[in-house]
Amino acid sequence: MKMEIVCAGVGGRGVLLASTILIETAIKAGFEAMASDEYGMSQRGGSVVSLVKIGDCKSPLIGRENADILLSFEESEFYRNLAFLKRGGMAIVNTRKGFLRDGIGNLLKERNIKCHFVNADDIASRKGSMQAANMAILGYFSYFKQGPYMLGAIEETIKEKTKGKFVEKNLEIFDAGYRYGEK
Amino acid sequence: MKDVNMEVMIGNYSIARGLVEAGLELAAAYPGTPSSEIIPGIIEFNKREHGHIHAEWSTNERCALEVAFGAASIGRKAACMMKQVGLNVAFPSFLGARRKKIKGGLVIICCDDPGPQSSQTEQDTRLIATLLNIPVLDPSSAKEAGDVAYYAMEYSYEHKVPVIVRSTHRVSHARENITLYQIGTRKVALNEGIGEAGVKGSRGQGVKGKRENGGHPNHSITQSLNHSSASSYPLSAKFGIVASGMSFSIAMDVIFELNLTQRIPIYKVIKVNPVDPDIYDFVDNAGRVLVLEETDSVLEAMIHRGNKVFGRRNGYVPGAGELTYDIIRGIIEQIVEEMGMEERTFFPDYSIEEALKEIRFPPRPPRLCAGCPHRASFFAMRYASPEAIFPGDIGCYTLGISMGAVDTCIDMGGGVNLASGFYNACNQDETFTPIIASIGDSTFFHAGLEPLYDATKTGKRFILVIMDNSTTAMTGMQPTPQTGMTADGVKTHSIKIEDMVRGFGIDFLKIIDPYSIPLMVETIREAHAYLVLDNHSAHKPAVIIARRECLLSAKGKHEALLDTINIEQDCIGCKSCIKLFDCPALIFNDEKRKVTVDEGLCTRCGMCLLVCAMKRPRKGQNK
Ligand code: SF4
Ligand code: SF4
Repeated sequence: MKMEIVCAGVGGRGVLLASTILIETAIKAGFEAMASDEYGMSQRGGSVVSLVKIGDCKSPLIGRENADILLSFEESEFYRNLAFLKRGGMAIVNTRKGFLRDGIGNLLKERNIKCHFVNADDIASRKGSMQAANMAILGYFSYFKQGPYMLGAIEETIKEKTKGKFVEKNLEIFDAGYRYGEK
Repeated sequence: MKDVNMEVMIGNYSIARGLVEAGLELAAAYPGTPSSEIIPGIIEFNKREHGHIHAEWSTNERCALEVAFGAASIGRKAACMMKQVGLNVAFPSFLGARRKKIKGGLVIICCDDPGPQSSQTEQDTRLIATLLNIPVLDPSSAKEAGDVAYYAMEYSYEHKVPVIVRSTHRVSHARENITLYQIGTRKVALNEGIGEAGVKGSRGQGVKGKRENGGHPNHSITQSLNHSSASSYPLSAKFGIVASGMSFSIAMDVIFELNLTQRIPIYKVIKVNPVDPDIYDFVDNAGRVLVLEETDSVLEAMIHRGNKVFGRRNGYVPGAGELTYDIIRGIIEQIVEEMGMEERTFFPDYSIEEALKEIRFPPRPPRLCAGCPHRASFFAMRYASPEAIFPGDIGCYTLGISMGAVDTCIDMGGGVNLASGFYNACNQDETFTPIIASIGDSTFFHAGLEPLYDATKTGKRFILVIMDNSTTAMTGMQPTPQTGMTADGVKTHSIKIEDMVRGFGIDFLKIIDPYSIPLMVETIREAHAYLVLDNHSAHKPAVIIARRECLLSAKGKHEALLDTINIEQDCIGCKSCIKLFDCPALIFNDEKRKVTVDEGLCTRCGMCLLVCAMKRPRKGQNK
């Protein structure tokens, strides 16, 4: 199996934690996995991209139109990283809107790219932790059962990778994201 | 299935692990992206192994190298770490140390920044090492970086020469599952040349440290490294690739993607100096050869086969910048097509970019964090004296460029010296063009002391704002001498910036909280008035220390001010806060024609209210 995932967002909003959870989950499932992180100079508010590759590969870098999945933790970063996504790929976008502008919508349709929208910020802040929108996105992503990314497997990794008092809140928001998929 | 002895870690931790396993005894470094995580890694692994490694943050790279050299010269295994331009700071000792006999081992880890992503310039450490004939190793992955660090220490210890490990940010910050060994038990043999991987295109043994048949490296510098034999590949390939570092790993993925694995052999180089002579057989036996390396033409120059080589010299490989996946794929496709081996298979679809042109999304240039105290300082500097010259320096506060309060930036400490130069150039006739230089606290200790001493000694008149956020923020919050904290968090004595400044005999010295913008503005004007005095005591720089904790360490500790005023309600859409204040939390909403605040980023520091045309200064500001 080979899977290339682009995680894109802004600094300080948990992109790197999300990609860590993706790598660890894949490794536990017996795959090789690696990641390459790119963050700008300032610590908060800049673009952050983490490339995750699972399976047979030597570099953690992804070429344009090669990624299977684009997880965007912030709407504008979805557009900024769209060129990574291959034909037939899938994107999850954290947005308040539920649609794309025409030009882009048609292009994605023509490229057979499936775009799923989720207001992860809202899901997370309703549960009292705006900062944990990344968990809602992971939860929603797990609903699509891609490769090793099943609900239980990701939950396990969240338990291992987040710190004590946050575990429960994170799992709660993760779960809300999953249930958003069921609806 | 998770092996208990494996752990996902970044390349820099892998390097730290390799050094610790190789019996490291002393490590010294100055933080600099992309090298900064190696010291914390060493401290962490040393704790876990209950070891006795001494690890410290040095004041600058020269200190780091000399401390490590001192320890190595009396028999210890020592290492120092820095970023590529840090090597320039350490250059005098680097030149001196290379010819001296050491009794122990000395590994210099130097992390290059192709692109550059967080530096002022690119620089290829391999080139410098090769010119000076110092062994230099160029790992191609996070995993390999640990093997290479281990190997380098053993090699240095055995041959009594300093060895450089050159990493790049893509290696240092890649994350992989890495095996941990017990100290002293790792078996490493660098596996260069054409590995099986070059033939089978699998994630094969050919490019990993061969742990099963390793052993202590015991060849002299000029002997060849243990690599799989070139004869395992048809020697008369029409087209081959020579690659090192992350470019090698990318090239492997690219030829796999393009289905060319069986047709294009890749010769991998880890040891760039001395390069293995087998490389020449490979090049001579191939029809044409592409050389992929970051960032200069080191291997290409060594190979030196004129137009037989596709590289930087004939324009196939870009002369600067990172060799990304897309660039490498493009080069290989172009060559393969030109040589009539294969039709192009990948055509970038630029209709994506076309469609995106219609969509407006906020640009994200590098900017100071929302709520950063430096933003307030810069605003005050510009507000107090818009016509001033603003020499700047290296650190988070270089980002003051976007606020029009940083005009120059050359190297660490350079801003203070430039201010001196500007003073004499502009003000010899006593006209007094205001000069307001800025520097951060860590940088001040690193390289600002001598320039300030010099400026004082020679009677320069300018304002120096020392932006003291009590940490080294840009590289990940390392303690500065003033914090009184060692690298591993133990309390020690603190060295105060104000004591040093006073020690030079500077008498205009004010310490201000930059969040008090009006006071800061007033003080800058006062400093200027002092400098133009016709009084001999004014023949010195005036120093203002703008002191407030970096927002990242202050998290939630300071009072929220924005709650008192609803910024969005009164907004008339003049954008002055965005233009003048540049806070990433302020976003112009096209539909409402108003500024809105990104609640996820805003720290409620309230400083933007001072800039707002609708609010008068001090409103909502309780200081
Ligand atoms: S990390 Fe700290 S010093 Fe740097 S921009 Fe952010 S708040 Fe300012
Ligand atoms: S209060 Fe204003 S200046 Fe401070 S972080 Fe929020 S938007 Fe930025």
